[in-house]
Amino acid sequence: MKITLTVNDQVYIRDAAPSKNLLHFLREDVGLTGTKEGCGAGECGACTVIMNGKSVNACLVLAPEADGAVIRTVEGEALNGELSPVQHKFMEHHAVQCGFCTPGMLMSIRDLLGRVPKPSVHQIKEAIEGNFCRCTGYQQIIEAVLDVTGQLTKDNKGELRHV
Amino acid sequence: MLCEFDYLAPRTMPELFDALAAGGPDARILAGGTDLLVNVRAGLVTPKCVIDIKKVSGLDGLSFDAKNGLAIGAAVTVNQLAEEPVVREKYGLLVACAESLASYQLRNRATVVGNIVNASPCADMAPALLCYDAQVVIASRQGSRTVPIREFFTGVKKTVLAQGEIVEKILVPLTHAGGSGAYEKLKRIKGHDLGIVGVALLKKDGLVRMAVSSAAPTPILVRDCKAGESADTLAQAALQAVKPIDDVRSSKEYREFMVQVYVKRLLERV
Ligand SMILES: Cc1cc2nc3c(=O)[nH]c(=O)nc-3n(C[C@H](O)[C@H](O)[C@H](O)COP(=O)(O)OP(=O)(O)OC[C@H]3O[C@@H](n4cnc5c(N)ncnc54)[C@H](O)[C@@H]3O)c2cc1C
Repeated sequence: MKITLTVNDQVYIRDAAPSKNLLHFLREDVGLTGTKEGCGAGECGACTVIMNGKSVNACLVLAPEADGAVIRTVEGEALNGELSPVQHKFMEHHAVQCGFCTPGMLMSIRDLLGRVPKPSVHQIKEAIEGNFCRCTGYQQIIEAVLDVTGQLTKDNKGELRHV
Repeated sequence: MLCEFDYLAPRTMPELFDALAAGGPDARILAGGTDLLVNVRAGLVTPKCVIDIKKVSGLDGLSFDAKNGLAIGAAVTVNQLAEEPVVREKYGLLVACAESLASYQLRNRATVVGNIVNASPCADMAPALLCYDAQVVIASRQGSRTVPIREFFTGVKKTVLAQGEIVEKILVPLTHAGGSGAYEKLKRIKGHDLGIVGVALLKKDGLVRMAVSSAAPTPILVRDCKAGESADTLAQAALQAVKPIDDVRSSKEYREFMVQVYVKRLLERV
């Protein structure tokens, strides 16, 4: 069936089997492979994208359900070759190691910052509860979010502290 | 890869019932898909046709009125419910249960109605709905009927729904609204694990209502208790209502023990 959707401000019209999920549709039919498949069953969050303003697991959305939808994926973070502020802070804080969970993390964080401009550590933890990281560790990710929201300062030894 | 099926998105209730009748037992209703698509992926169900109810007009309603209370349409997501100001003000226990369910992005899709139709013993919305004496409005081509939630579940993953019937909405009356409620759920990792055991407690006007998940074939409501009864008596009442099993996630004894711990902890919280 024919599916029309907007991904990162660009309109795509594609034919897809009704039983294809949005994750595979984005990767195989739209050609955006930034969104990753981890568990494929809604647990790991690697495939998190933003659909009509809300974060969702793309593996649990059927492509035809996204007909007419507005989607944002990790490819929409950087603008004109310039990384987004959250992406910069991820690099600075070493919040990326293997990088597999990063696209989903970034989407969950984008959703969070849309709802809560200055999230507490607790709110950050809750927002990424549905995103597994198996190598970086969550601390650096939390610090990157605190920093990008202006909540980290340097103490007199040069160590970063939560304000 | 999922098995091949057709996708239908009816816009009206008559269209929905036509699609259900045409599809027969090979058709499945799709709400948030967080149970259905996981089961399809695992090969546990192999529908020929999937009927998306999210575009049916009227099913997306979440409304409150001072006479009848809250009405939760079949397409209302768990986050939508938990973020609604009137729900936060009057039905705190629904919010507590909602926020314990899966992860944020999953709750953006998972529906409240899908959670009870799936009828898992560990369904997290069920304890709150039981404590508030919710009513389940079931519709079919023939008309509609209303079933109290405590009669809705008939066994593990089984409900009173017959072929051709759907849950149109859940009504949550005002009787116990405004009470102080909380939910304790035992699990390994928040956001990822099904409950090992869960206890909801709601206190209002000298009455204590409790409901338990993951400790019987269905979520269950404990007999009404009085606020004046001792913590031990209330814990005993809950213990008598449950019938837990041993499984990979926990032993029967541990579940029984934790039900009592949670009743006592909740009494201090509400
Ligand atoms: C990773 C993960 C974690 C989870 N964690 C939890 C948890 O912590 N607690 C918990 O309780 N659940 C959990 N779940 C289960 C699930 O998310 C919930 O049960 C959810 O509320 C189901 O709603 P849905 O809209 O996604 O249902 P769907 O999958 O769309 O539907 C569920 C079933 O009900 C039927 N159905 C749906 N709506 C109707 C209707 N209106 N009328 C008739 N039939 C209907 C469908 O055909 C299907 O059989 C989890 C699931 C996943 C994948």
